[in-house]
Amino acid sequence: MSEKTKAALNILLSMILALGAGAVVVALQGESPVEAYAALIRGAFNGKLKFGTTLAGVTPLLLTSLAFIVAAKAGAFHCGIEGCVFLGGIVAAYIGINWTFLPGPLQLVACFIGAIIVAALWSMIPGVLRIYFNVSEVCCTILMNSVALYITNYLVSGVMSAGTSLPQSADVVPQVKLSQFMKPSSANTGLFIAIIVTILVMILVYRTTFGFKLRQIGTNPANAEFAGTDPKKMFISAMMLAGSIGGTAGAIEVLGVHGFFLNNFASGLGTNGMLAALICKNNMFVAPVISFFIAILKSGAMGMQQATNVPKSLVDTITAVFIIFACMNIIGDVKKKREIREGRA
Amino acid sequence: MTFSKIFNASLIYSTFRTATPIIYAALCAAITQQADILNIGTEGIMLFGAFMAVAVSYLTGSWALGVLVAMFGGLCIAMVMAVSHLKFRSDICAIGMGVNMFAVAITKFLLNAWLKQSGTFADPKIIPIPKVHIKAIEKIGFLNDTFNDWTITEWFVIILIIVLWFVFYKTVWGLRIRAVGRMAQAAQTAGINVDSMKYQAIAISGLVGGLAGAHLSLGYSAMFVENMTNARGFMGVAAMYFGGAHPIITALGCFFFGFADSVGARLQAYGVPSQLVLLMPYVATIAVLAISMATKSAMEKKRKSSLITAA
Repeated sequence: MSEKTKAALNILLSMILALGAGAVVVALQGESPVEAYAALIRGAFNGKLKFGTTLAGVTPLLLTSLAFIVAAKAGAFHCGIEGCVFLGGIVAAYIGINWTFLPGPLQLVACFIGAIIVAALWSMIPGVLRIYFNVSEVCCTILMNSVALYITNYLVSGVMSAGTSLPQSADVVPQVKLSQFMKPSSANTGLFIAIIVTILVMILVYRTTFGFKLRQIGTNPANAEFAGTDPKKMFISAMMLAGSIGGTAGAIEVLGVHGFFLNNFASGLGTNGMLAALICKNNMFVAPVISFFIAILKSGAMGMQQATNVPKSLVDTITAVFIIFACMNIIGDVKKKREIREGRA
Repeated sequence: MTFSKIFNASLIYSTFRTATPIIYAALCAAITQQADILNIGTEGIMLFGAFMAVAVSYLTGSWALGVLVAMFGGLCIAMVMAVSHLKFRSDICAIGMGVNMFAVAITKFLLNAWLKQSGTFADPKIIPIPKVHIKAIEKIGFLNDTFNDWTITEWFVIILIIVLWFVFYKTVWGLRIRAVGRMAQAAQTAGINVDSMKYQAIAISGLVGGLAGAHLSLGYSAMFVENMTNARGFMGVAAMYFGGAHPIITALGCFFFGFADSVGARLQAYGVPSQLVLLMPYVATIAVLAISMATKSAMEKKRKSSLITAA
């Protein structure tokens, strides 16, 4: 069995195990698992609104999982994508509200560029701390997520507040809003931006010198340094690239889905993206599929809750079980053991 | 004078009070770190423990049973990590994050499906961990402010710090676990069962992590809130880095974060926005971590260069 089939089987088996565990829990609650899952699928696909919601849900996941993977290729465990999404969102909202002196398309571009720059700089902090002070980037990025959340919360309930009871900013001007193509759902042209960004990053990582160096320092920093790549510079660049992808996701969410900065809007986006990335073991080409799967689960959860008595938090549990199983190398191990038993290893 | 209102004797206790859950979390992370395993799952273990403690205390009316079940719950979560990491060779960061997400999801689900609540769960039937009231020092103002009415788990954390220090540095088991952490291959050559030691470290860490959660939900407060750990587990991990997994230094590190937290809470009365107050402990953690790691690496460099000149 080749490595690729093994990995695919591993993901498939984990998926079955996770869904099976979910089915058992549903059955324990006295509901029919088949009915619950059917309701879930209906909730994700049935009708324009529901399918559109799924598509809108997959957009940020595509980008956040990609961002995590880019950092992981350089050997970083970047949990701070969520913070980048928040900051990218707030910058996009700020420029979208205030920079009306720019003509329409230029202002839209400015929104994205602003979001990318700020998120990249934010993401640079843990990179620098890691390289120069040896601070664990896992810990640092997670704590920085909370900092980003509180900063944006402070801004939208203070200086940028729309004056409503909910902490949120004013609406961005209509010319920078991304058009929604499946009304009444919030699916928007941001999906295509996300797909384009994904393809560009794939090319960047696998077809350019920059990408080669990036993967080089992830696999063997010592060798990379010997071959003339500066691991420090590359590591920080990778962190910044990951941050900027996260910032793009934030800008798309604000300009496409909400049209204003809603407090705590990105809660879970970064985490779910990381989840998708971890499930496929940082494979950039499988991650979109997993992102789509997670988006289906998330958007179908509400339908399941309405049709049956199963709370929608069950779906989060299923995805969490999925990731726990997917992290383990179940298939590889079983086969290896058999080989050892038969004296082939 | 505002200054004296913020910095007074009761600040000592409130610092200790806010630091205690983090100290427990830090100890949980320190135990596995001694065996060279980064326990990212501290947060999840703690959250699950917090939920189990509240649920059992609510259903049975016994805080002690709640604490015990919380510790057992922590152990179960930790064993998931242990089996996945040691048997199925999963990346420890990945499985740790997986466990964290699992804990957030399962506590939310159980809260909805089992206790039929959502968001916050507070009920008079939840029996908190009792406070120790010392009659003898009631009259002495300073001592009364500082030492009276600590919960049992707050006293216990001091014992735990000392016990762990003793176990790590004065017992055979501690030596073995540190040997495994320092260089697993050498330890194996010396006849130590590396996997077994690592299992033991994660198991004990799970027990302590469950206790951390129980203290958070039954000692520090008397309720359960979705995701109530709020990155305290990660602050614990940061404190563990600060103290280099040494229990006493690690615990001292936690006081910085507790201090930032409780000073912030007092500043709020003087018009500092609540969000800035809330983010202070996180910024303090990152800053302290960066400074301590920078000093450590600088010291190491110095030591290395002096070695080279000596040779």
